[in-house]
Amino acid sequence: MEDEQVWALIGVKLIPQKDVGFDSIAEHIYRFPQARTVYLVSGTYDLMVLVVCKTSHEIADFVSQKLAPIEGVQETVTQFLLKRYKEDGEIIEGREEVKRQPVTL
Amino acid sequence: MSTNSRGQRRKYHISQRVNQVSPSGIRRFFDLLASIEGVISLGVGEPDFATPWHICEAAIKSLEKGYTMYTSNLGMPELRQELSRYLRDNYNLEYDPDSELLITVGVSEALDLAMRAILDPKDEVIMPDPCYVSYNPCVILAGGTPIMVPANQENNFEISAADIEARVTSQTKAILIGYPANPTGAVMTRDKLLQIAEVARRHQLLVISDEIYAKLVYGVEHTCFATLPEMKESTILLGGFSKTYAMTGWRIGYAAASREIIAAMTKIHQYTIMCAPTMAQVAAIEALKSGEDSAAEMVEEYNRRRLIIVKGLNEIGLPCFEPKGAFYAFPSIKGTGMTSEEFAERLLIEEKVAVVPGTAFGQCGEGYVRCCYATSLADIEEALSKMKHFVARYQTV
Repeated sequence: MEDEQVWALIGVKLIPQKDVGFDSIAEHIYRFPQARTVYLVSGTYDLMVLVVCKTSHEIADFVSQKLAPIEGVQETVTQFLLKRYKEDGEIIEGREEVKRQPVTL
Repeated sequence: MSTNSRGQRRKYHISQRVNQVSPSGIRRFFDLLASIEGVISLGVGEPDFATPWHICEAAIKSLEKGYTMYTSNLGMPELRQELSRYLRDNYNLEYDPDSELLITVGVSEALDLAMRAILDPKDEVIMPDPCYVSYNPCVILAGGTPIMVPANQENNFEISAADIEARVTSQTKAILIGYPANPTGAVMTRDKLLQIAEVARRHQLLVISDEIYAKLVYGVEHTCFATLPEMKESTILLGGFSKTYAMTGWRIGYAAASREIIAAMTKIHQYTIMCAPTMAQVAAIEALKSGEDSAAEMVEEYNRRRLIIVKGLNEIGLPCFEPKGAFYAFPSIKGTGMTSEEFAERLLIEEKVAVVPGTAFGQCGEGYVRCCYATSLADIEEALSKMKHFVARYQTV
């Protein structure tokens, strides 16, 4: 995790729009640089958006001022990332390092 | 010293056989290493990867189910069947899982069993110099006599059949080889192995072939000695899981040989070990069934590092032949005018980089050091950078 950054996963529930579907809303969202990742998903929420800002306050502002007002967005839920264990196949450092014997023949 | 019931001083004797085994020639180096912090070690002889998780998981599941009892002395039937399939698929070799395969506590135990099963007092075993540190002691502890055949950088550390044959006497029982090799990284070509097979056939010698690094080959094919014409019956093939699947700590390996030899090895094994660890055997089954992709990924990573370290060593003035197997580079340090041990000690003290003096592996290792590249690229690059400064200070040639 880069310094001075806060990450949050936002679940976005959409109202499907006639002749448009979800793609144009997704595009509207992913054009924001703060939206680092945008997925269409099954389940309770339609889009999962990974948002990265400098502070939690900025995330809250982004959600309330940029994301929620988008036409077609019915509801959002914001989950702040508290700890990263594994990302993109890599286990994050911080786990106890298992040391080998310094010399084995 | 202690006193017996009559007040006489009694001395406890260590056996002559054990006294005959030389103490580690690099004890001082080990002690020095233990006293210095922050060392970048190129002296480790095992993978820097943890065992792939699916293999660990198989063992954990078996523990949860309560598989904690002894297995058959020979090893779990399922493991021997998988192993038989593996040897058939990889080498087109047929070994009967019920009588020609023995699961052991690493190749280390298999080697020890092989020596104890075949050697009578004064029997001779011919082997390369330099070679893995256990070869010599295992022969001595079994009552035999090691006969060393020199190998050198000019021949890419491959020993010649002619040199072996020149040392055959009426006492010679076996030839012991281990290719791909520790410490040199050398791989023997099929042609050269055929010549050795011819010597073994001509003199009716057994061949013990330690192929623990069989899967760690780069741009060449590994030749399994037992596949050579007329060699299957007289070869004791040793293999394992430590290097291929990063399972060094599990202590699991195998021997494949004729019925008679496996029976003899099993006789010793059943009294001294009973069976290899059960959970390690379960892990080995999983490795054989599903570990090929994980193994291939590790080999690819070793290869990347191999290219960097060999190029780097040559560039800084430590000429190094290109090792095609295992994960060791064996550069010459003769240009510095130091002995191997001096080089390793001074490098450790002055630059905090650990390499193993070649003399740990035999007299013909003098003038060389072993650098293991089973460590991160970052460590390899930093070690090379420090070694460059060191060599620049001492280079005489």
